[in-house]
Amino acid sequence: MRNKLTSLSEAIARVPDNAVVALGGNTLHRSPTAAVHELIRQRKRGLNLVKTAGAYDVDILCGAGVASAVSAGFVGYENVFGMAPLYRRAVEQGLVRACEHTCYSVIAGLRAATQGVPFMPVNAFSLSDVPLAQGYKQVADPYSGAEVFAVPAIQPEVAIVHVHEADAEGNARIYGTLFEDVLMVTAAKHVILTAEHIVDGSTFAAQPELTTIAGFMVTHVVHAPRGAHPCSCHGLYDMDMGYLGDFYAQAQTADSFEAFLREHVLDAAYHEMAQDVEREADTLEWSEAALGDVSHRAR
Amino acid sequence: MEAVLFSPDILMPIVMARLLRNGETVFHGVASPLPMVAILLAKALRAPDLIYLNITGSTDPTPAALPRSTVDPALFAGTRSRVTLADLFDLSARGKLDTAFLSGVQIDRAGNINMSLIPGPDGDPHHPKVRLPGGAGSAAIMPTAKRTLLWRTKHDPRVFVERVAFRTTGGNVDRVVTPLCVFRRVAGLLQVETIHPGVTPAQLQAATGWPLSVSASTPRTPEPSEAELAALDAVDPQRARLIEF
Repeated sequence: MRNKLTSLSEAIARVPDNAVVALGGNTLHRSPTAAVHELIRQRKRGLNLVKTAGAYDVDILCGAGVASAVSAGFVGYENVFGMAPLYRRAVEQGLVRACEHTCYSVIAGLRAATQGVPFMPVNAFSLSDVPLAQGYKQVADPYSGAEVFAVPAIQPEVAIVHVHEADAEGNARIYGTLFEDVLMVTAAKHVILTAEHIVDGSTFAAQPELTTIAGFMVTHVVHAPRGAHPCSCHGLYDMDMGYLGDFYAQAQTADSFEAFLREHVLDAAYHEMAQDVEREADTLEWSEAALGDVSHRAR
Repeated sequence: MEAVLFSPDILMPIVMARLLRNGETVFHGVASPLPMVAILLAKALRAPDLIYLNITGSTDPTPAALPRSTVDPALFAGTRSRVTLADLFDLSARGKLDTAFLSGVQIDRAGNINMSLIPGPDGDPHHPKVRLPGGAGSAAIMPTAKRTLLWRTKHDPRVFVERVAFRTTGGNVDRVVTPLCVFRRVAGLLQVETIHPGVTPAQLQAATGWPLSVSASTPRTPEPSEAELAALDAVDPQRARLIEF
């Protein structure tokens, strides 16, 4: 078994500038935020971010000058706060290109990459101005001749996904909602996992079907407790409304955002965790109280 | 007799719930507190076998408290299965999704929505005057779901426009619920079906960006019943839905 445990800074150092980078999670939930902050600290540039629906992660990467394109169906804070101010300003000022998708066409593009084909037909866009604006084309069904929209493959150079449990090889479990995370793993050339817990993977063998990410597809594993904060992580912690509220207020102007970035990201010491096995997988031991109601879990 | 006024946060979810049918599959996406409340309300009142689907991949969740974000893990509580978001889009794409709730920053007379952008002077979509959040799943769902119910908590001429500045998508729009009225799409155009209690035809016309066919004889939206009001309080006792107003 290969040990892929590494520090966050070493893992993120492997992300090249100008890369297509997929981010797991959805809106304010289970985003790989510790890794996002490290991308900012390492002054990455020119990233094309891939996500079905982004919020804090996409917004702060646009504000910090890390992203130059965003391929997404939605970028915003839902009704929690509203529009994404940094993304919006960056697009309106021409600093970031909005590669507009519908969430389903992001999925289709990731499916194409997963399957090793150059494009994927998708039953979407039939009544939309998005294809003309973005250059999505139709292809003819070679059998019936009917036209269908085809989206180009989206092959991330790197997918960054935050999980509940991973072992040193990268076998990993996500509890609760999966979003597109497993599809991002299969589509990407390289996969960085950040994990709440690093576990002894031999204990996964009792219920391997709960392990939805296979370690052989993973390149780096990072121990990052609370690595989705200020976003939620199913069963472990909720959104941090205080932090997000401060961020959203300070994101409204360039000066106050710079101050926020300095205080909470650039000058904030990141405490690397010991990169070794922390404990046994405790799938069968987490209490109902800690997880809330997750009736899908095997007992 | 003077009409009893109901605030939109009470009337809208009740009207939206009335549009749902027992046994159908109903989906809402991001930023959808009112559909979340309306679906739970319909299940409580008259559609116990309605199948409630959302982005978390749960089926018929039983949230302990209603969340601010409609992607929140709270909407995964109580589910007995887990599907992915891709599974839900696939469901719609193959024509098996009965009803979807969607919304728009702009909604036009033909039921098209704009969630994408307001163009700048050069009309180039890559140099927008205003970049909006994007349509999320709507450009896939709205043309393929059997029917779409639109809602919007603001009804003014900047929202309800003759023609959207950018068409994120059109689709199978059935009705549009607003704080002032219910539109029904007939022959491809939105027509006023009912006006809410306390709203005058003149007020409704002034708030809408295209000429309406409304008069004193336009039907009124039926007032909420005692049972509907009680069920709404039971489903959303903390009034999580107020985040939309």
